[in-house]
Amino acid sequence: MEKRAMIEIQRLGKSFRIAGGKRHVALEGIDLNIREGEFVSILGPSGCGKSTLLYMLGGFVPPSSGSIQVQGRPVTGPGPDRGPVFQEFALFPWKTVLGNVMYGLRQQGVGKREARERAMALLHKVNLASYADFYPKELSGGMRQRVAIARTLAYDPATLLMDEPFGALDAHTRTVLQNELLQIWERDRKTVMFVTHGVDEAVFLSDRVVVMTRSPGRIRTVVDIDLPRPRVRAELLVDRRYQEYVVELERLIEDVHHERDAEPAPAPVAKTTLKVATR
Amino acid sequence: MSAQAILQRLGAPLTVLVLLTLWELAARALALDGFPTATESLAQLPAILFDGQSLQSIGASLARMFAGIGLALLVAVPAGLAMGRNPTLARMLNPLLSAAYPVPKAALMPMVMLWFGVGDLSKILVIFLGVSLPLLYHSYHGAARLDDKLLWSAAAMGMRAPARLLRITLPGALPEVLLGCRVGLAMALIVMISSEMIARQSGAGDLLFNALDMALYPDVYAMIVILAALGFALDWAFEHLRLRLVHWAEPRQDAASGGNS
Ligand SMILES: Nc1ncnc2c1ncn2[C@@H]1O[C@H](COP(=O)(O)OP(=O)(O)OP(=O)(O)O)[C@@H](O)[C@H]1O
Ligand SMILES: [Mg+2]
Repeated sequence: MEKRAMIEIQRLGKSFRIAGGKRHVALEGIDLNIREGEFVSILGPSGCGKSTLLYMLGGFVPPSSGSIQVQGRPVTGPGPDRGPVFQEFALFPWKTVLGNVMYGLRQQGVGKREARERAMALLHKVNLASYADFYPKELSGGMRQRVAIARTLAYDPATLLMDEPFGALDAHTRTVLQNELLQIWERDRKTVMFVTHGVDEAVFLSDRVVVMTRSPGRIRTVVDIDLPRPRVRAELLVDRRYQEYVVELERLIEDVHHERDAEPAPAPVAKTTLKVATR
Repeated sequence: MSAQAILQRLGAPLTVLVLLTLWELAARALALDGFPTATESLAQLPAILFDGQSLQSIGASLARMFAGIGLALLVAVPAGLAMGRNPTLARMLNPLLSAAYPVPKAALMPMVMLWFGVGDLSKILVIFLGVSLPLLYHSYHGAARLDDKLLWSAAAMGMRAPARLLRITLPGALPEVLLGCRVGLAMALIVMISSEMIARQSGAGDLLFNALDMALYPDVYAMIVILAALGFALDWAFEHLRLRLVHWAEPRQDAASGGNS
């Protein structure tokens, strides 16, 4: 079945006013269509505008140019159809772990008891059930990150905007949560935008991987990950195609870093901005 | 109990005792008319504290003070929070805030009295002004320093802007707002007394300055002791309340910058 575009991003750009009245171009000419239920990862060097892109998709920050449409409607602000998981967690410090995870459900009118039960079920999944009554300040970075993920999953947004959600986790917990996210995604077919620095993570999870360059942030290329699903980690690791994708992306990332070092002045036109059409 | 623990527990009473002793010795040595000894002054305490009229006076002062504080909480906290989240509003109101902050509020008393008379209303208004400024200032900074992503998270859950101000900005800025309250409380006491000095009618300040007029110096000092004790008690009670309300807050790195006035 042909799936319609969930998110359509056209000629999207963002610049910031900085000291001295100058403007800093963070993103330029971003074209990207994301199908409903698609899992798309974004790879790119630090400062290339990955977070900024997610903020605009979330409707938290207005674009400077271009347009974003979600399910055919232009984005005018945040909404519960798009759930962010912020790089900085952004937990409500005055709420306990449970209070944080219940918050979105309560906000959407779910009764206290049901919200509590659903939140506890999620906390079991992220292995934090015994920390339900802790306050964020009493948690480690990795624990906060898991609460942040649970808080967003709790209110069940159709699209997840995840900004390095596994960045602060230890290797084991990361693997567990990757599998958990895959399961949730395969079951509910959410649309996911997933920012990461982990090439293997991106290949393991994604349908497509977007590689970005910096100064200004542009799409360098988009790689289709044509691996069968459901994906099992142990099988993939010994899969030739999986390994080739990882190597290809590692090379691309390497290139992007070299380009940046070689060109102190921003290039007027990106070399290979691949425009990817909806399939 | 170790010596240190004993010192810690007895620290405050010990300081008071030392101060009283120094006061006693200095007053005896100087033997000035207007400087009674500690024992003479403290001997007046029962006379004041068991006198119905004095108590009523002090009670009336406190009632006005709390009315002023309550009014300031209702007006200055929402205004400060809104300023902190709205740069345009902040740009408009900031000059006003910087200009009004250093003006001694009690000095406005004669003007306020022209409009509102010598009664309670004028005094409450002046206390309100005195408390409002630190409250406005701290609420503004607390809200401005709040991480946008907290508000974004709530917005993504479907919370609208007015609700966010109450349910996200207010609790998020609460540690700083309460610092403003503490400064405001001290300010309220000061303005309370000075307003009563200017508009003599009733109140703790009136008691104090009447005693001064009649050269009842032990009474004057007894009143000062009562006011100091009141200030201490209010601050102590407020600190307990504050810690209860913001026990969840991360300790701030720049705590030293708070609480100036
Ligand atoms: N509010 C802002 N004002 C000015 N410049 C900004 C602002 N936010 C982001 N930028 C600039 O935009 C660019 C992209 O920032 P962004 O945070 O989106 O990068 P990123 O790809 O998420 O990096 P990282 O991988 O380190 O998280 C950076 O150059 C940054 O300096
Ligand atoms: Mg980022």
